[in-house]
Amino acid sequence: MKNRIGIKTTLIAITIAIASTLTINGCKVPEGIASKSGAQLWGENCNRCHNAPDPHTFSDDQWDAAVEHMHQKAILTDVETKKIVEFLKSAN
Amino acid sequence: MKMNIHIVAGVLAGGLLLNPLVSTSSFGQTTDSTAAEQPFVNQPQGGAEKFLLAGEVSTLWQSNQIHGLPSTNSFGADPLGLMLMPLVKITDRLFLDVQVAVTANPAPGGGASASLNEAIIYYKLVSGVNVFAGNFQPRWGLYEGILDDFTNRYCSTPVGMGIGAATESGVGIQGGLQTGYSKLSYQLYIANGPQLIVDSTGAQNGQLNYGNYTDNNKSKAIGGSLGFLPFSNSNLEIGVSGQYTPKTGDAGTAFENISSTSYAVHLNYYHVFNPLMVRLQGQYEYTQTQGFDLYTNSSDTALLVPKFTNQLSGWYGGITFRLSGSESMFLSNLELGGRLSNLTMPKDALWGGNPINQTTICLTYWFTWKTPLNIAYDIYTQSGSPTQTALTVRGMWFF
Repeated sequence: MKNRIGIKTTLIAITIAIASTLTINGCKVPEGIASKSGAQLWGENCNRCHNAPDPHTFSDDQWDAAVEHMHQKAILTDVETKKIVEFLKSAN
Repeated sequence: MKMNIHIVAGVLAGGLLLNPLVSTSSFGQTTDSTAAEQPFVNQPQGGAEKFLLAGEVSTLWQSNQIHGLPSTNSFGADPLGLMLMPLVKITDRLFLDVQVAVTANPAPGGGASASLNEAIIYYKLVSGVNVFAGNFQPRWGLYEGILDDFTNRYCSTPVGMGIGAATESGVGIQGGLQTGYSKLSYQLYIANGPQLIVDSTGAQNGQLNYGNYTDNNKSKAIGGSLGFLPFSNSNLEIGVSGQYTPKTGDAGTAFENISSTSYAVHLNYYHVFNPLMVRLQGQYEYTQTQGFDLYTNSSDTALLVPKFTNQLSGWYGGITFRLSGSESMFLSNLELGGRLSNLTMPKDALWGGNPINQTTICLTYWFTWKTPLNIAYDIYTQSGSPTQTALTVRGMWFF
């Protein structure tokens, strides 16, 4: 019973946190975010955990696989993933 | 609890079944007219798969010193240090992520053995919602859940980490969402969960085994994480992770209903105060196994295990500095880090003891963005035990 209350409390807290954030920020993506280039997103998101990769490292197909890996590992948004992989491919 | 798991499983299964109907994208073949009308089609075609064999190779030399004793040094317990990561983007929605560690057997002529760290299949349901299944490392704070060696700038492992969720077999759902100027990342999963160790000697009694391909009872663990990146440049992430396992003991035994609760909180921040790049990281994690008090080896009272509260906690905090904006290439490739870590164990458990503290200083030179050379010095202190130190030189190459 005690554990059930613990799980319920945790789930409610997570739900409230998500709902609060969505409410505060709104679901609409601001123009300043939507207009970010792939190069900017590459620098911001990669450097958060490791050195940003040299765009000349992989071929186009390899970048597709590598960035999809980071899409899932670092849980990037779909838009970020698409822009970053396009930027990295553009160096080839 | 059972109902919650059934609901989550039902949602995942329902999503997988319904998605092809609503998205017109599926694993199966579609007619030419459908394909022509839908440019975003993920049906496999010749040469359509995207493949990358990534991984890392490392080698290290370490000198260990226990206060009052002669020092020893060696070229590492695993001189091979090879990890392979086959990554396959099968379609625009389907992705396979595998991680295999190849470990050298230290015995003369012992060869090498391979172990599977991860094998995960991801399927993109809709934007921001990805279903995954397999053998996976849950997103657990900052230190675990991503390629540790790639993100650890201190060479050694923080002594306080490794508590709580580790490799799991199960299914889950995850995604990243842009919420205005900030971002959210989430992960929810159900898995076999940890298994309680009850051994005849009591030496490991109360510890939890992770990475179980088969479950020891009908109960499943439920876990999740939430990451919040409040700033538009994504340079700060704070997050929470949690896992609850209602039953960890073997089915039909007195220990079956012993539960386990774990959680972690983390912070990751980096900023360039030109020319200096500063990176600040920290994590706290905690695990408690409820209802585990006293277990004995009935045939030998000398091995009586004293009663203990079965909870562990650990933390680490570190900061690194790099003159990334320096005009000197040598200076811009140097990174200096300092880290503190602590592990607090059940004092009265046979495997427990007094808290362990670790202080680490590490200097890294980056030959390329993925080729570091680390020189680290660790100091371990524990009340009642001699101080231990370790000097480590490690080279790594990520590919």
